[in-house]
Amino acid sequence: MDIGVLIQILVWGIYAGCIYILLAIGLNLIFGVMKVVNFAHGELLMLGAYAAFWIYTFSSINPYLIVPLSMLLIAILGIFIERLCFRPIMGTGKLNEIFLSLGLIYLFQNLVAFLWSTNSRYIRSPYGEVVVHIGAIKLPLDYLIIIIVTIVFLIAFQLFMKKTTTGRAMRATSQNREAAALMGINVERMDMLSFALGSALAAAAGSLWLISGQMANPYMGAIPAIKAFAVVIIGGLGSIPGAIIAGMTLGIAENVVPYFMQALVAVFGYEMSFTGWKDTIAFLILIIVLILRPTGIFGERGE
Amino acid sequence: MLEIRGLNVSYERVQVLWDISFNIEAGEVVTLLGSNGAGKSTTVKTIQGLLKSGSGSIRFMNRSIDELPAYKIVEEGVALVPEGREIFPKMSVLENLILGAYASRARDLLKDSLEWVFNLYPKLEERKEQLAGTMSGGEQQMLAIARALMSKPKLLMLDEPSLGLAPVIVLQVFDIIKKLKEEGVTVLLVEQNIHHALEISDRAYIMEKGRIILEGKGSDLINNHYVREAYLGM
Ligand SMILES: Nc1ncnc2c1ncn2[C@@H]1O[C@H](COP(=O)(O)OP(=O)(O)OP(=O)(O)O)[C@@H](O)[C@H]1O
Ligand SMILES: [Mg+2]
Repeated sequence: MDIGVLIQILVWGIYAGCIYILLAIGLNLIFGVMKVVNFAHGELLMLGAYAAFWIYTFSSINPYLIVPLSMLLIAILGIFIERLCFRPIMGTGKLNEIFLSLGLIYLFQNLVAFLWSTNSRYIRSPYGEVVVHIGAIKLPLDYLIIIIVTIVFLIAFQLFMKKTTTGRAMRATSQNREAAALMGINVERMDMLSFALGSALAAAAGSLWLISGQMANPYMGAIPAIKAFAVVIIGGLGSIPGAIIAGMTLGIAENVVPYFMQALVAVFGYEMSFTGWKDTIAFLILIIVLILRPTGIFGERGE
Repeated sequence: MLEIRGLNVSYERVQVLWDISFNIEAGEVVTLLGSNGAGKSTTVKTIQGLLKSGSGSIRFMNRSIDELPAYKIVEEGVALVPEGREIFPKMSVLENLILGAYASRARDLLKDSLEWVFNLYPKLEERKEQLAGTMSGGEQQMLAIARALMSKPKLLMLDEPSLGLAPVIVLQVFDIIKKLKEEGVTVLLVEQNIHHALEISDRAYIMEKGRIILEGKGSDLINNHYVREAYLGM
């Protein structure tokens, strides 16, 4: 085993974890405030990636500068989705919410396929060739940027929720909607805001992913979304620290474990790659956590 | 100050309030009495805008408020301490109080209001960093009342504030209501604790099965034959 390779794989895992965390935080926020599970959250990631792709194609400015633009566009889309789709059916039963958001998945996937074909799209990061050397370890600069950007987003998000009046009002709404209204909080505005913010974070994940060299296609949101759901469940519904730890664990485990497995079979003289086992490992972790702690690691009972 | 005329309210298709009319003058403490399921909570929730009325009118300070959403009615100066307290359990006492002053007309007065409620309830100041959900039932009730006061209400509605509290704590709750009356806050009190409630209130209405069946001065009702029989078991 090569320690340098291992560290590189570790960083790869952290980078994947960042994407899951950005998605999971938005899911958590929307669920907390509205008690709605938006299964189409991965499609917001996909649309964020396409937004970044088209803005880049027509402007060719530094793709990292496009991230906030993509976030803004998808936030506005999120507001429309909340107003036009979720608000009218709120309180009419969980089944309606599930079918609605499943419907949104097909709507967005097919709409994008129809408008822009199913061809894979990619953009070239200006730092695509830049590699940071730390001793013998080589790390793509893009990965480091994404990790740092995610940390900045997480800190900003936490400060917003803990320190601002609006953030406090959002937390109050998720803890007790009726009591929040009694405080003079416009709870429907909080719904809208949680959707806008959650969508923006999904768009950030999507555009950062695209910039770092991943392909965009209409179906790219599905797997990350399922992983984000796993992160939310493992970390405990509504828990931000839980989502961060679970996201990191999942990202690292699904990258590092295949490497160990490869090293293990090499001892017996076989040469085999296990990178295709990523998703299997992710869901194995989910199943084990659910068996050991059904409410998630940081979750509370009775919700 | 508050004037209610011909109010009818239904849940789904079941009507629970029938032709409710009553009024409260500025500075009064008015009690709404009635047995379980009479419709007391439904009445105060409708005034606060948490429930929509089917017909009838609610006027507060000579303005119609029955079409307004709850958060705007808070802005108008009405506050409700709900049945069951409904504090924010995962926030500190201080954060709960700060949220109480969320309404824009109360936000600038935050410092003064905090001082005011800490004066009423010194214990809350000692406990301000404690998570609200870890406080005892009596302390949570204090917090719920204090939080409602943070919005500087002109009309404070309390839905069974003495429910489930030890006798000493119940006395404290009524003491606070007396103090508030002295400070000029108008109070609509929903109670089952009829003796204490009638003692401190100027007037009372008695509800049964969604209708108001009796009205009178607190002192008169205590001696009313019907009330003695139905509520005091005498
Ligand atoms: N959410 C609801 N859906 C349907 N019916 C309801 C609902 N809430 C209350 N009711 C019904 O409305 C009637 C009045 O209830 P309400 O809570 O106003 O009574 P209350 O006088 O406050 O009683 P209590 O003293 O027990 O609190 C009851 O018959 C109750 O069953
Ligand atoms: Mg009640």
